[in-house]
Amino acid sequence: MLKYTAKRILLAVVTTFLILTLLFIMLQAMPGSPFNDEKITQVQRAALEAKYGLDKPLYIQYFNYVKSMLRGDFGVSYVIQKNMPISELLKVRVPVSLQIGGQAVILGTIIGIFLGIVAAIKRNSFADSFATFVSVIGVSFPSYVFALAMSYFIGFKMEWLPLLYTTSHPFLSTIMPTISMCMFSMATVARFARTEMVEVLGSDYMTLADAKGIPTRRLIGVHALRNTLIPIITVLAPLTMELMTGSLVVEQIFAIPGLGSLLVTAIQFNDYNVVLAVIFFYSIAFILMMLVVDILYGVIDPRIRLAKEERKV
Amino acid sequence: MKKLISILLALAIVVTVLSACGSSSPDPVANQTVSDDGRKILNVGRSNELFDMDSTIATEADCLEVISAIIEPLFYTGPDGTPVNALAESYEVNESGTEYIFHIRQNANWMNGTPVTADDFVFAWRRLVDPVNASEYSFMMEVAAVKNATPIICGEMAPEELGVYAVDSKTLKVEIDHPVTYFLNLMTFPSFCPINEAYATEKGSQYALGADNLLCCGPFYMSAWEVGGNTYQLKKNDSYYDAEHVYLDEINFQIIKDSQQTMLAYENGDLDYVRLSGDQVARYQNYEGFTRIEEGYLWYLSPNLNPSSTELSTGLENLNLRMAIALSYDKEIICNELLKDGSIPANFAIPNKLAIGPDGKDFRETTDTYLKTDKAKAQEYWEKAKAELGVDEVTIELIYDDSDATPTIAQFLQSEIENTLPGVHLDLKAQPKKSRTDLMQKRNYEMGLTRWGPDYADPMTYLDMWTTGSTYNYGEWSNAEYDQLIADANGELANDPAARWEALKQAEKLVMDNAVILPVYQKGTAAMVRPGITGISFFPVGVGTIYKSVDIVK
Repeated sequence: MLKYTAKRILLAVVTTFLILTLLFIMLQAMPGSPFNDEKITQVQRAALEAKYGLDKPLYIQYFNYVKSMLRGDFGVSYVIQKNMPISELLKVRVPVSLQIGGQAVILGTIIGIFLGIVAAIKRNSFADSFATFVSVIGVSFPSYVFALAMSYFIGFKMEWLPLLYTTSHPFLSTIMPTISMCMFSMATVARFARTEMVEVLGSDYMTLADAKGIPTRRLIGVHALRNTLIPIITVLAPLTMELMTGSLVVEQIFAIPGLGSLLVTAIQFNDYNVVLAVIFFYSIAFILMMLVVDILYGVIDPRIRLAKEERKV
Repeated sequence: MKKLISILLALAIVVTVLSACGSSSPDPVANQTVSDDGRKILNVGRSNELFDMDSTIATEADCLEVISAIIEPLFYTGPDGTPVNALAESYEVNESGTEYIFHIRQNANWMNGTPVTADDFVFAWRRLVDPVNASEYSFMMEVAAVKNATPIICGEMAPEELGVYAVDSKTLKVEIDHPVTYFLNLMTFPSFCPINEAYATEKGSQYALGADNLLCCGPFYMSAWEVGGNTYQLKKNDSYYDAEHVYLDEINFQIIKDSQQTMLAYENGDLDYVRLSGDQVARYQNYEGFTRIEEGYLWYLSPNLNPSSTELSTGLENLNLRMAIALSYDKEIICNELLKDGSIPANFAIPNKLAIGPDGKDFRETTDTYLKTDKAKAQEYWEKAKAELGVDEVTIELIYDDSDATPTIAQFLQSEIENTLPGVHLDLKAQPKKSRTDLMQKRNYEMGLTRWGPDYADPMTYLDMWTTGSTYNYGEWSNAEYDQLIADANGELANDPAARWEALKQAEKLVMDNAVILPVYQKGTAAMVRPGITGISFFPVGVGTIYKSVDIVK
């Protein structure tokens, strides 16, 4: 288990480094500079580029960048909030995005698993059709449709919940964004849970367990559920990331000062450092998530861990 | 059967959701009063974050507006567009118009109790031109012709050499190279605001980064500005010298990127003053509170007469070809059917309502219009151009921004030009704005669809652009007569406003007769202002809205 984990971690570090390099190359290939405005003369632009070290040879820029990234220093913003350290910008935005993303993942997963299991147990009943119906809606509608519909009906017409995100109601104003964002993951989880559950329920060991007289609740709750969770955990990692990156539009709709809206603004205004920092943050989050999933596999289903370790020998 | 029910149910939901998105036309009546318990609170919707609060760095319109509300300039723009005294109690100007003395109000203080002094101006102005700060608006000091501004910006002289001096603590002297008729107008621009030297020095690189790092002296102060947040707030400054004429107690700014949500928040009563996006203008124009704004932005085609490489040679150096193109597209359709946001066809190089002349009239009121759409004439010019160039066909690459309505406009221009002038082909090439600007600055283009926003209320803010050697003279047109007119207007005619005004009209005529730029439209936009709110003004130049004069009368 230790070796397995160590290898995963090493892989994660290498991936991080590769992503960093790739990002840097991609941004260099982008046309224009952050200071390319009608009102700036070439002389002034050169002065600005010198000020921020953008006039240096590429390899030096790259070296400086990696060096400061490793120190946790993302540099300063060139445009969005001139000279403001990006870590300050992230500090306020990351918790907001994490909160809403986290709420959406948790809510979506719980409802999704519940729907999936009910559908699997009561196959071909009304509950099953209902669950399928909800999944189809959840998968086929983009989250902003829910966001717009909810903000119009619930926020504007009924005035039940705040229309826009506000720090004075940090929980109330995240309800609508959370619900609109959790729909997709809920639907995906429900589909996986149902399929997997149906398969598990029909397997030999379940028949055996049933024959042994284990009560149904324990049968489902312990034996079946555990096996059902494996594919769900696999999809959960990318789903969580999708929630964080896919929150761009939802963040715009509810005026949430999150990472997504920062990224969009940074791209629009060619604020290199901020773009790099946000994407780097997303990448790290994704890598960490995959790492956790890999390790969780081992915990939930020893067969995976064992199989992998056996192959190594 | 169950499947059928599911499908029907799904359809029902789809229809409900879609109809909800499409038909949101709620009644425009406000359902919430603005002032409760006697306090007057204004809620403003904004689409962008507050980028900078350092007056020597800020360039965005939103930032300039807030800066002028919390750190007062020497003058404000009055309701009729003329300057009214703000921090300057009075001023004197010498006979030749090259030396200004400003007397700063005795009772003007910073919020920490120290007086606003002439030194605060000297400090801020030097900071603006100091090349170390690479301020984008340092050129405003050149526009104001302040002595030594240009060599200092170029790094050839120390910032201390700038022609601005503190005669005593409340007397500011400014020396300028030549008379500038709109000098006082320029002084309304936030780049010329004072900065408290002791405070800014103490804060160092933290100055103006956040509400706690700002020292204010204006009618309001910044009470909250979360770093990277989606709100910021101004509150009334009770120590302001004219506090009795400041009516609002609080101004809350909410950043919303989605224009539809902005309107929901307005209709909800959450916001009192919002800008409309182009596509919303037509929809809300009959609502109470709808206010049209004529922006100073002029959109035009810029033909490159002298491209950086021979591969880009298109024949656009031929006047008849340029005239043919200039007359070949229908500007009315662009404004009334494509944009529908209150934009007006531009048959001029100097926008409407930009500048008021010595006669007290708008520049446009007493000037001709040029290059009005005339497709028959366009074809005549094209025939002449073909003969002169010895070709039957030309292909021109048009570069334009890939954002907002610009691609639609470019496509329309393409079809109009190609249909009116058989043989002229337009290749469309969309670009992110920054790279489009880059290409044009390097003269590495054939024809560009671009815009220019005015920096000060004088035709010179446009005309200056087309002089020989100007960075912004993208098309590299060069005309000695024109250069002389501009030099005169900036020099010997400066003390004769009427003659100068005539020279500017002449200059515009030259630009238009030579089709240096092919004007398309002057941008219009609109805002919703909740009825009962007074004093919100919209100036096309500099600070858009002056919050000091805003009141809520219900």
